[in-house]
Amino acid sequence: MGTFPFQWPMDPASSAGIDASFLPSLLPPPAAPAAGSDDSVSYYGAPQMHPASLPDLAAPFPSRDAAADLAMRRAEEEVAGIRLVHLLMSCAGAVEAGDHALASAQLADANASLAALSTASGIGRVAVHFTDALSRRLFFSPTSTPQPPAAATDAAFLYHHFYEACPYLKFAHFTANQAILEAFHGCDAVHVVDFSIMQGLQWPALIQALALRPGGPPFLRITGIGPPSPPGRDDLRDVGLRLADLARSVRVRFSFRGVAANTLDEVQPWMLQVSPGEAVAVNSVLQLHRLLADHHHHAPIDAVLDCVASLNPKILTVVEQEADHNKPGFLDRFTEALFYYSAVFDSLDASGTASPMAEAYLQREICDIVCNDGPARAERHEPLSRWRDRLARAGLTAVPLGPSALRQARMLVGLASGEGHSVEEADGCLTLGWHGRPLFSASAWQASPAVAVDGEEDNPHNSNTSNVSSSGGDSNNSAGSSSNGKSRSSGVVGAAGNMFL
Amino acid sequence: MCMGGPPAPPRQEQQDAVLEVRVQLLGGGSVHNINDNADILSEILARLDGRSLAAAAGVCRLWAAVSRRDAVWEELCLRHVGPASGPAAAGHATRTVVAALGGYRRLYRLCLGPALDRLGRAGALAHAQARERLSLSLSLSLFSIDCYERLGGAGGGGAGAGRQQPPSSLLFLCKPVDVS
Repeated sequence: MGTFPFQWPMDPASSAGIDASFLPSLLPPPAAPAAGSDDSVSYYGAPQMHPASLPDLAAPFPSRDAAADLAMRRAEEEVAGIRLVHLLMSCAGAVEAGDHALASAQLADANASLAALSTASGIGRVAVHFTDALSRRLFFSPTSTPQPPAAATDAAFLYHHFYEACPYLKFAHFTANQAILEAFHGCDAVHVVDFSIMQGLQWPALIQALALRPGGPPFLRITGIGPPSPPGRDDLRDVGLRLADLARSVRVRFSFRGVAANTLDEVQPWMLQVSPGEAVAVNSVLQLHRLLADHHHHAPIDAVLDCVASLNPKILTVVEQEADHNKPGFLDRFTEALFYYSAVFDSLDASGTASPMAEAYLQREICDIVCNDGPARAERHEPLSRWRDRLARAGLTAVPLGPSALRQARMLVGLASGEGHSVEEADGCLTLGWHGRPLFSASAWQASPAVAVDGEEDNPHNSNTSNVSSSGGDSNNSAGSSSNGKSRSSGVVGAAGNMFL
Repeated sequence: MCMGGPPAPPRQEQQDAVLEVRVQLLGGGSVHNINDNADILSEILARLDGRSLAAAAGVCRLWAAVSRRDAVWEELCLRHVGPASGPAAAGHATRTVVAALGGYRRLYRLCLGPALDRLGRAGALAHAQARERLSLSLSLSLFSIDCYERLGGAGGGGAGAGRQQPPSSLLFLCKPVDVS
C-alpha cells in the first residue's frame, strides 16, 4: 500500500495547514502522529482503502518524510510567492513616485525571490512576466520601443494559440454569434462588420448556423478589418477566400470584403459600403479598449462609436476584458493587472497542458500595460460598467443576450475546461470568470431608435453626411476630406474584392 | 399455463413445444443471418455506441461498407445530441449541411465522440443529460470551425506554404480534463 500526496489547492489562504477535516471522505489519520510537526498528516490514496488495512499503516513508513518535506517546501514557496508579490508592488510604487534607485533595488530583490520559486506554475509563472516588464520599464528609455513592433503574422500566430489554449476567445465568438444570429432573424440580406478579422475563426460557426436557420440562409456579407499585409501577401484576401469556400459548400450566398487599416479610427463608414436595406451587425472582440488612448486630448473611441452608430446597426457585439487597467496611477494599474493576469494564468495552468504561446500572447499585454504610457499604450481594459456608460453616451441601447446564449456559453465552457470556469449573467450581459473572478464580458447593443436616421440614400456618401449632421458630433466628416488627411491612409483593399458565389 | 383435458406426461409436452418453436425460428429449414440483408444490418449497427460501431468496420467487408454509411452515424449522433423530439426531427437541411462539412461519421469522430468522452468522465452520462451538456448546434459549430481550418491555405498560393498548421481547433476536446 502506498500513500499519495493529494492535490494542494493553489489558494494561499489554505496554507494554514491541512488537517483531517479537509478529507471528509477518507480514513482518519492513524493514532500515532509525529511529534511537533503540524505537517504530520498522512495522505491516503483511494477512498476504497479498507479499514482493516489501517493497522498496517500505523507503523512508520519511509515516504512519510518525503511527504513532510514536500509540505514544507510548498509552504516555503507560498511564503516566497507572497513576499514576491509585495516586492513587486513596492517596486511599482517606487516607479510611480519616480524613485529609480529604490525601484531598481526592489526589482533586484524581486528577481532574487523569483529564483527561489518555481516559475513553472503558480504565482511564479505570472510574476516572471511582471518582473521582466518592470525591468524593461526601468532600464529602457521610454522613447524607444521596448519590443519590436509586433509583426502581423506573429500576432496572428499567438492569437491562434490563445484561442486554442483557453475558452475565452471561443466564449467571445460563440456568444457574439448567438446575438448576431438572433438579431438577423427574418432578414434576407445581412452584413457583418468585424473589427478584427484575424483568421476569421469566428465566422464559420455563424455561416453554418445561418445555413441551418429555418427559412433558409440570407445573403451574407462580411467586411473584415485587419492590419495591412506585408508586401507579397494578402492575408485579408486569403481569409475571405476560405470563408467563401466554406459558405459555398453549405450553400450560403456570400461575399467578403477586406479593409486594411492600422487602427479603427482610420475606417470611415463609406469604406464599409453598407447597402440600403441590409441588416448590419458590428462585431468587436477585444478591440474597443485600444481606442481609449489619448491622442492629443482626443480619444478615438468617440469617433469610432459615432461611426458605428451612423451605420444604424441591428446589433453591436462587444467583448472586452473585465478589468480596470486604464487607471491613471501606475501602482493601481500594476496591482490590478497583477491580480487579473494571475487569475488568467491560473486558468491556463489548470487546463493541464502547457501552452507557452498562449502565455506569450498574454505577456505582450502585460508588457504593454506595465511599460507603455500615453498614446503608446494600447491595452486599456475597462470594466463593463464603464463600457455601459460609454456606449450609452454614444446613443446605443443594451440588448439583453438571452437564455440561449447563456446556455450555449455554459455548454461550451463546460466542454472546454474541467472545473473552475463559470459563466454568469448580469443585466443581460454574460461574463466568463475563473473561480468567481470575472475575466471577460460580452454584451450586445443596438442603435437607439431616436438616433436612427430614416430615409437613407443609396449613395453611401450622402448617407454618411446626413448621419454626421444628425448625430451632431464633431466627429470627422469623412465625405472626402479627411481620408486624404492622414498621410498613411488606410486604403481599402480593392484586391480583396467581392467574391460572389 | 392452463391445461385442458387430462394432463399428458409433462416431459413429452415440453419437448413438443420446444420442437415447435425451433421449427418456427428456423423458418422451416433455412437459417437467417443478419448479413443477408445490408439494410437490416444497418438497422442493427445503428444502435451501437460509437466505439463498437467503429470496431464493427473491422469485421468483414460487408460490415465495413455498412458501418461507413453516414446514415448509421447520423442515427448515433442524433441519439446523443439530437432534438429531444427524436432523431427524425433533425431534418433534411441538417443532413445536407453536415454532408457538406464532412459527414456524420466525421462529426462523431472529431467532435461528438471526444466531447461525450470528456463529459462522460464526470460520471455516467444518460442521454438526457448529454443533451443538456452538449447540443447539436454547438457540435455543428465546432465542426464547422474544424472544417474551415482544414480548408486552410486554399487559394493562398505560395504564401500558404510553410505556414500551414494542422487543424487544431478541436484539440481542446481531447485534452485531459482535470477532475481533481
